Amino acid sequence: MSVTNLLENWSQFRQAHPVGDAPHAEYKWALSIDLDTCTGCNACSVACYAENNLPVVGKEKYDAGQMMHWMRIERYWDEDDREFPDQGAQFLPMMCQHCEAAPCETVCPAGATNHTADGLNSQIYNRCVGSRYCSANCPFKVRYFNWYDYPTTENVWPAEMTQQLNPDVSVRSKGVMEKCTFCVQRLTAAKSTARSEGRLVRDGEVQTACQQACPTNAITFGNLVEPESKIAKQWAAQQVELAREGQAKDEEAGGSDLRGYRIFEELRAYPSVMYLERVRESAI
Amino acid sequence: MHRFLRLSVLLLGSFISATLYAAEVSQPLVTADDLGPKVEQPIEFPHNRHAGLRDPADAADPSKPAKGGMEIDCRYCHTAARRSANAAIPPLQKCVGCHQTMNSVRETPRIQKLFEYWDAKKAIPWKKVHDLPDFVRFNHERHLKRFIDGQGKSVQEVCGYCHGDVKNMTVARRQKSLAMGWCVSCHEKDHPVDATSTKTTHGPNDCWQCHK
Amino acid sequence: MIENSFNRRDFLKVMGWGGAAVALSGCGNTSVQDGVEIVTSYVEPAEYALPGIGVYFNSTCAQCDAGCSITGRVREGRVLKLEGNANSAINVGKLCGLGQAGVQAHYNPDRVRQPLLRTGDQGEAITWDKALGLINEKLGAVKGDEVAFLTGTVSGHSKVLLGNYLDALGSKNHYAYDAVSPSVVRAANKKAYGVEMPRLRLDKAEVIVSFGADFLGAWVSPVHFSQQYGQFRKAGKDGKRGVLVQIESKMTLTGANADRWLAIRPGTEGVLALGIINALAAAGVSVPADISASVKAYDAANVSKETGVSVEQIGKLAALLKARSPSLVLVGSAAEGYVQGSQIAAAVALLNQVLGNVGKTIEAPAHVPFPQIAATVGNRASLQALNNSVAGGKVKVLFSFGVNPLFTAPPALNFAENLKKVPFKVVFAHYLDETALAADLVLPLDSNLEDWGTSVPEYLTDGSQLNIQQPLMEKLHPETRGLGDILLALLKQRNANEYKDFEDYYAYLRNAVIKNKSALGGALVDDDTFWGETLSSGLLKLPAGASSLSGHASAVSLSAVAVADSAYPLHLIPSITANMRDGRHANQPWLQESPDPLTTIVWDSWVEMHPKKAKELGLVEGDIVEVASRNGSLKAQLYIFPGIHPDAVSIPLGYGHEAMGRYAKGIGANAFKLLDVVVGQETGELALHETRVKISKTGKRVIVVKDEGAAGGMQMHKKIAVRVSTDNVKLSGEV
Repeated sequence: MSVTNLLENWSQFRQAHPVGDAPHAEYKWALSIDLDTCTGCNACSVACYAENNLPVVGKEKYDAGQMMHWMRIERYWDEDDREFPDQGAQFLPMMCQHCEAAPCETVCPAGATNHTADGLNSQIYNRCVGSRYCSANCPFKVRYFNWYDYPTTENVWPAEMTQQLNPDVSVRSKGVMEKCTFCVQRLTAAKSTARSEGRLVRDGEVQTACQQACPTNAITFGNLVEPESKIAKQWAAQQVELAREGQAKDEEAGGSDLRGYRIFEELRAYPSVMYLERVRESAI
Repeated sequence: MHRFLRLSVLLLGSFISATLYAAEVSQPLVTADDLGPKVEQPIEFPHNRHAGLRDPADAADPSKPAKGGMEIDCRYCHTAARRSANAAIPPLQKCVGCHQTMNSVRETPRIQKLFEYWDAKKAIPWKKVHDLPDFVRFNHERHLKRFIDGQGKSVQEVCGYCHGDVKNMTVARRQKSLAMGWCVSCHEKDHPVDATSTKTTHGPNDCWQCHK
Repeated sequence: MIENSFNRRDFLKVMGWGGAAVALSGCGNTSVQDGVEIVTSYVEPAEYALPGIGVYFNSTCAQCDAGCSITGRVREGRVLKLEGNANSAINVGKLCGLGQAGVQAHYNPDRVRQPLLRTGDQGEAITWDKALGLINEKLGAVKGDEVAFLTGTVSGHSKVLLGNYLDALGSKNHYAYDAVSPSVVRAANKKAYGVEMPRLRLDKAEVIVSFGADFLGAWVSPVHFSQQYGQFRKAGKDGKRGVLVQIESKMTLTGANADRWLAIRPGTEGVLALGIINALAAAGVSVPADISASVKAYDAANVSKETGVSVEQIGKLAALLKARSPSLVLVGSAAEGYVQGSQIAAAVALLNQVLGNVGKTIEAPAHVPFPQIAATVGNRASLQALNNSVAGGKVKVLFSFGVNPLFTAPPALNFAENLKKVPFKVVFAHYLDETALAADLVLPLDSNLEDWGTSVPEYLTDGSQLNIQQPLMEKLHPETRGLGDILLALLKQRNANEYKDFEDYYAYLRNAVIKNKSALGGALVDDDTFWGETLSSGLLKLPAGASSLSGHASAVSLSAVAVADSAYPLHLIPSITANMRDGRHANQPWLQESPDPLTTIVWDSWVEMHPKKAKELGLVEGDIVEVASRNGSLKAQLYIFPGIHPDAVSIPLGYGHEAMGRYAKGIGANAFKLLDVVVGQETGELALHETRVKISKTGKRVIVVKDEGAAGGMQMHKKIAVRVSTDNVKLSGEV
């Protein structure tokens, strides 16, 4: 077997959809975030805490890197030694990218993380044994481990605060890995409603918690398979294809004048989140 | 060198025996007869009286206490089953809706207890008979839609498949294992999509459909 | 017999244990437990209440004064999550992090649950009857003008009842206080435009120049402005998107999003504003002769020397404003911060006028047809006025709610000591904060999600609206009461007859709204339907009315900026962060754990210092420094922050609580206690940036707990968060 043959087969294998059913037949969920309209306000992050029963860990555990924010806002400065950051800062909302060829899915010893037919990277809490290999492999570092048993930890959910918990989302106990799910509980509910009415989920009918909260509408979410959906039109307008590591537009001379890109695309994980570059006015 | 080898063999041996021991001793999730425990409810609700088959003698002489049931459809009380993930225990007003006019049984002890709750506007603390772990998501609506609406099967057959022959019970008692393997055994079968179609599908086998 | 007309309250007559048990079981039940849990079951639910399906109710957020409408998802009788209400023109279905945390304000374990009477240092739980009786008794022994009310911004029908109660008492002493209000901006707007809060059209502007107005963070109505900002940044058919320039001495969230952020010497914003007018005239923009003459001295060289903004930058700014129209110039902290703040704001108004923005991006606000429910806004000067009154022994009974003056009062006011002169203090409180702890009687309030009410936001957009607040679930603690219910009970003590038809505040509200049904678009429907539709929508659009801008900006003369103080060399800029604001939400853990967007610090306060200044003083990140002003001092961790003028340091407000529950107490240090009492020349409002401080090492150092990690905001030249210049991007084909 030649090396070329091996590489080709490997490439096919990497992209082979683990689920036997026709993948992306009806749905392929994807997200896009416009970094020019994202203001870094953190509304999305707090909304995610509310929707997905995220525990608040407190200062000490935060210091140990044990925070649990599924959606975090990274803040970057320009790296050119100017006296002031006179073109502002850069905010980047980062969450599980639901990679089509996810590095985390292949390494779980317990098979707790898989790829669904509608294009999500699933995390099954009751299968997870806590090896943490998946988070070691994740290039985006968006997987969070329950180092403690938060349901029984003091002041995480005291007294009446347990009543705020969302019954559609498991409350995780110690030893379990968790991450952004694209609000799968909302997707499941929307798909069930649509199925009862004999149709597919319409564009805009289901929103993730972060998208729903975002005051500037920087987040767009939807079904990439439906050509009339806003997300599909956006990805198409930006000429970003899901299962490609080098986009055609980037090979043009001088680079592309379109804003859409994915992070660490060269790692060939095929993330389902597209970012739109932040713009800075040249006239000022 | 020898010391190293001895240590490795010792450790490996301990590991193997520990594993074997654990496999022997670990408790199976499900009891031998797949039957749930007897659950004591605040009021011993007789499903047989309500959902059970009619006894022809009852129609002949309505003045005597009924021997048979009234063949009430499961969905009359468990209304949420066709439109929600939960089947739901019926609200108190569902019971009272009929019973407030039924003078023949008004003074019986269980009905009296019912009205005590009603007058106090207090919900009856029914105990949960069919429990699933909190990380499992089961959707009644989808199953009813597929089998009753889609395939035209009878309510008794469909509800009974998982809940057993409730119409012959007083308080409900779990009849099937409800363990994952048991659910998956049905999901792996191919069922017709609806009553007229030749197309078949099996149930979802994607973990996230049922685990949340 | 099932009731025909469902009563909104009947739905809430839910179960007993079902809800709580189901929720509690969410904690790690990994086994099958037949016959153990109690199932949710109802008594007489509304038709639409099905277990397993969420019911959505609309209400109003009370986490800040913007008055966004919320939609609460309620499952099995408990509210789980809040979203924005799509019906409201203010937030258009969106909600900020503060709004999301409203559920934590409601479910907070440290809520006051019973009326508390002070006995020595303790609070003894008493009955409502006893509490209300005690109030009546105390009031009977004093004259009307010896009673005072201290509140935050009030509007809607609780404002009406409050006004009526004050009238019944014979008191005119209502102090509306807000420690971080944009009061100087309001006064300046009134002068320049004839109204305190004109409608700002960020969505129509092509350029926004903001002198410290943090409109994306915590200024006026951030969710509304953010929503407009989203539109502002979308390129039009010409492929051009809106340009934001932020000018301030310390970078705010809005500043972090600017195309150009200009660090300016503290207090010189007015100079720059006039300098821009000068530059516009020089660039050929038509400026009235008198204005042109008045800004002659503000040529680019002089302005640059005074402000620190380069001549080149001033030129570019003028060129941009000349080329793109309409623009919008905003002023925020520049006005609130300084003794000459009013003049700075006036200079900005003049700039808007010269640019022709009035009537284009600065419009007349919506008219509120019922002035008795329009907002009475809080300001900082009220506290000074109350303090004088209290110090003079003029107040014998003080009621307060919605504010925490013992936490926010500058030390030089001596407010805590003066308050001891008030023999009877009643606080309506959600939590035992610093002010509640000093009270003689604490009355426990329903949370915002349990209570009835109405409100009219100060900042209105497309028409005016009456926000409806309705309970999203049964109250958690049986002994708390709604604000309206407490006011009604107090009113009935004075005038039982007038309010005898109203069993409770709900009845009063319903009557008040239905009474005006015809004026509110409900002429053709019956009362019940109208009320039902109103509750269902969550708000009522109020009838439109005429409203216009008046006033005229005239030439401005600026006073000199205060000279540096050698003993206290640095300016203190206390920052108003979106999450903490004046500290009212420090006990909501999501907000403590939510990293500050600029520094990413959590669960603590900090001192921001420019790297140049830090190097000069030999300080590194994590050094515990003592920050001392003439009136107070505090210790906090140092954070090296490039987005601040080297002559200033910045400390966030809202931390350093000594009470208010487990999530607030002992977290961080209270920057309010550093503030010198220096007031604005024209308004008498506390000038927030006029405090001077000195920094000294303590020798201690900690590791700063922050989200950014060791990389400290560097991408190491990887393509993570990418920016592109407008020269290199095509925006016109975007979706």
